[in-house]
Amino acid sequence: MSRLVKKSPSVCMDLPLNNSEISNKLHLMRELLRSCYGPTARLKQVHNNIGGHVVTTSVSSVLLPALSSSQPFINLIKTSILNHVSRFSDCGLFAAIFCLSLIEQSSASRLRGNVAIRVNKHLLAVCTNYLQQDDCGCRVKLDFCSSQNLITLARSIISSKPACVLAEPEMIHVSNMTVRAFLLTVPCNTPGTVSLGRIVTVTIEGQPVLESAVFPGLLVDIPDDFCFNKAHSISNPLHVVLFSISLAGDLPELGDGITEMYPGLDTESQILDQLLEIGKQVAKDEVKLFVCQKVIHPVLQQYLKGQGIIVVERLGITLMEPLAQLAGALPVATLHTRISPTTYGKVRDAGLRQFGSRKMLHLHPVGESAVCTMILCHRNETMLNELKVVCQKTEHLLRLTLKEPCALLGGGCTETHLSTYVRHKSKNEVSETASALGCSQTEFLLGVKMFCQSLEYVARSLEHDGGTSAIDLTHAHHWTVSSDVLKEHLEGSLGFCGCGLVGSCPSNKWTYLNTEYTEFSPAPLFRDTKQPKVLDSFAAKLSAMKVAVETANLALDVRFVIQDMN
Amino acid sequence: MLDCRNFQLWQDLAAMPPERRGAAPDGLGRQMSKTPSTEACASFCSLQERVKFDHKTLGISGLRKIKLSRHFCEAKSEIVSQVQQPHPPELSDVAHIAEALSHGCDKVMELAVKAIQAQSDNNQQESSYPMFDITKVVTCVLPGLPEDNASVVQGFVVLLSDEQASVAHHLKEQPLKVALINGDLTHTYRHLGFKRPADVQHVRHQLDVSSSSKEDEWVEKVMKLLLNLKVDLILITGHACESMIHHCYRHRILVVEKVNSSVLKTFANSTEAVTVTYVTQLSEHCIGSGVQAAIWRDLCSFERKSSTAVRIFTGRTTGLVTVILTSCIYGKLQVLEDQFWACAYRLHHALKDGAVLPGAGRTEMLCVHHLQKQAKCHREDTYSDQQTKTGMAANLYRDVILQLMAEGFIDYITTVMVNTGRFSKVKARTVVSHHLQNCNDHEDIAAKFSQLVLENEKEAVAVFSAIKPEENSALNIYDNLSVKQEAWRKALDLVFLVLQSDAEVITGVGLKTEENLMLL
Repeated sequence: MSRLVKKSPSVCMDLPLNNSEISNKLHLMRELLRSCYGPTARLKQVHNNIGGHVVTTSVSSVLLPALSSSQPFINLIKTSILNHVSRFSDCGLFAAIFCLSLIEQSSASRLRGNVAIRVNKHLLAVCTNYLQQDDCGCRVKLDFCSSQNLITLARSIISSKPACVLAEPEMIHVSNMTVRAFLLTVPCNTPGTVSLGRIVTVTIEGQPVLESAVFPGLLVDIPDDFCFNKAHSISNPLHVVLFSISLAGDLPELGDGITEMYPGLDTESQILDQLLEIGKQVAKDEVKLFVCQKVIHPVLQQYLKGQGIIVVERLGITLMEPLAQLAGALPVATLHTRISPTTYGKVRDAGLRQFGSRKMLHLHPVGESAVCTMILCHRNETMLNELKVVCQKTEHLLRLTLKEPCALLGGGCTETHLSTYVRHKSKNEVSETASALGCSQTEFLLGVKMFCQSLEYVARSLEHDGGTSAIDLTHAHHWTVSSDVLKEHLEGSLGFCGCGLVGSCPSNKWTYLNTEYTEFSPAPLFRDTKQPKVLDSFAAKLSAMKVAVETANLALDVRFVIQDMN
Repeated sequence: MLDCRNFQLWQDLAAMPPERRGAAPDGLGRQMSKTPSTEACASFCSLQERVKFDHKTLGISGLRKIKLSRHFCEAKSEIVSQVQQPHPPELSDVAHIAEALSHGCDKVMELAVKAIQAQSDNNQQESSYPMFDITKVVTCVLPGLPEDNASVVQGFVVLLSDEQASVAHHLKEQPLKVALINGDLTHTYRHLGFKRPADVQHVRHQLDVSSSSKEDEWVEKVMKLLLNLKVDLILITGHACESMIHHCYRHRILVVEKVNSSVLKTFANSTEAVTVTYVTQLSEHCIGSGVQAAIWRDLCSFERKSSTAVRIFTGRTTGLVTVILTSCIYGKLQVLEDQFWACAYRLHHALKDGAVLPGAGRTEMLCVHHLQKQAKCHREDTYSDQQTKTGMAANLYRDVILQLMAEGFIDYITTVMVNTGRFSKVKARTVVSHHLQNCNDHEDIAAKFSQLVLENEKEAVAVFSAIKPEENSALNIYDNLSVKQEAWRKALDLVFLVLQSDAEVITGVGLKTEENLMLL
């Protein structure tokens, strides 16, 4: 019986940015994300309304999916940022804060919407062009001959996530380790097209962070009562067979519906016979390592162990592909045909390793294989989860450096530098640009001011403890002034800039970031001697900037929001 | 005073001078200022507690360090290198240590000590250092017997029904062949991970006239197998079906259900038996031998439902020990069992650590004393720092934080004291501060510290009237080191995460939204 329900009318909202409810929510979201930014960030506790699992985090990829709004307008911005995060892992908070600040500034100013959009678009192009230039003052070429820059990059990413709760030596250990793991995934001796390997992350709760380690090859979990004969390691290399179907002896997936069966039929014993048949063939083919993604029937296990074969069951879907890659095996997905010897793989040898109470089997590849295992230890689950997310993210960003081997100065210096550059360039070319954009010079300069203030706002967001941000009037780097330093001592108390490249010297002049200052051209740095201490990913930040400006432009362009209420 | 010369005791927890961090040596300049609350947790973590006190009466044989901090790990390596392995305690010492660790449960602690003795009797060929292998201890509760009947028996003691006991009676004093099954002994049992097919209909062409069911066929098959292998004893982790037990009874095979898997493992090791999942997997090489069974005690006179305790053991060394807990009051058995395991674990950790901490609030008092001293030092430092205008925010708050940490410990101590029922909140605080005052006047602080929480009234009076431990012959109380350390760590981790958080994101807010929530 069909029933007709009266459709409720759609809700239409005019000029969403002028709506006080929406602008309040945008402000709330900006404040929320701003306090997550940087190494001294505050953490957020995410849980559901029925008292479920609590996640403590400051990572955008964990936090943003948890934020959902009743306003489609806010979800639009969120989705756009999340899309960036899924592609580039990092700079999600940067993009969100920059975007929300741009929206807020533009809607607060009385600039016509389309002028703001055009100016933003123009300034984005100015920024991206500058960042691609060779003489860009805030870009650092990555030198792959030394791991120093890579480690600095990794360290900057890891240190910007305080929920990992890492002490200084632990931070260094984890950064070095992620870089090592990344280098292990780059094959050296493969001719032709190079494909990167992968890092398998295993987390162990309760052990100290300094026991985290990277191993070439794969580590797979084995049960406590696993007995390991020395004989296994002698006959190398070991032949491996890999099953992706369950060998538990149950009926394979039959689909829905009713199965009719004759009482004389004993399907279980027939399947078991089939399993033992496989066991016999595998033993005959001198396979020494028998791995199954799912459960193996105890009778088959007993038979295989009796034949001196190492049995690993319940491998899990995540390890299947790395193992197939490492051993060069093809996963077998049937019981009913003879296993072709071409599906067998090989490992060089297998050894036992123990981490806390967990026993693991360490499998080495025969030749070079770019698979490695990263064991991450931390003292409790919350910190471990955050550390895992951060390490995976770092790995992704290190990979991105292979495409574009450069990085940007971190610690807010890129933002202040860019802002100074944009101000200076716009001021010099104000008449021609304004006419090209079809707006008055005043409008253009107002747009520039908004854009630069938003950039500087991101740099200022790094400070959470009541301190203020300053900019030096020579190189335009970013400096933080802690709250208890008096104004007259400002010059004496500034050690280094945010990225650690510029030291304070008496000839420098500073000004606070939220004040007006006359624009100037940032002076280039002679960088032969000093290496920056904080680096940001180039690819991620560039994309984040584009996403932020484009999302902001999109938001500024929205005239109506029409919501289907059915 | 205790006479455990060889056992290492830590009497003083002397924190290292906290490292300076305000100068932002990493040059990042991002951590220039901190709020008191975040600094509190950082300093909480920064507390490095180290033991470097030699107690003359107890005779520490070596120095060891304990490091609570994860931040500021600037360890003084010369101290680390001085670490000596403690001289292993002997068995006679264990009794003393156990007494100090009993925390009021003397009776059950005695059982734990007996269990250690029973284990070390078993493996004399190994090192004389007594370790307590807790995985090889099982408890068996016998209701109806008076409490002083509690004892420790080598081997595995299990309560069996009369029927089973009679089988055991037949089997006593002869070597038995044993089969070990990790699972159930029923024909419907399937291993973990086996998916039973859903929606299967059985179709027959004609009416089934033969009466034998599947189960009977299975039992017949299994019995044939068991008799072939001459199995006398089956230990299973799950349960067995009625008819199986009945058949085994008829053929004088003893079936013991619900056996702990660690017990199964011990038997597997000592009898060379192989644990199997299905009884049909059994073959000649899976069967262990050399097991004996004996009637340990007949309980038919105590219980309405008569039962017998049967002891199963091997001639070889296994270290498997059963602790028998008895009580006339049925409801008390659970309490006794819990108490026993608490004591056993305390003793186990103490022997594993090779060290214990002074209990009854002494460790916390030492910490309080030390923290306050540090706070005082720091206040003076900061004052002089300010003169030179180099004081940074992190340093400015350090003394406040140390003082707050000390307050936290004082709060813990007074709570424990109030819970003894002998102190009011106010009185407890007075006693503690009086105590601290006294210690500040003397240098040799550890000797002056005495227990604040004691077993009985008269000792308490003796302690609190005069703080002269030399004259105090009261029993000393000790706590576990690693357990306490871990608890403190967990507490500090939590403090850090909570203090560092500034917002709570609640997902999926339903209809009953609270008043002060901000909606996104």
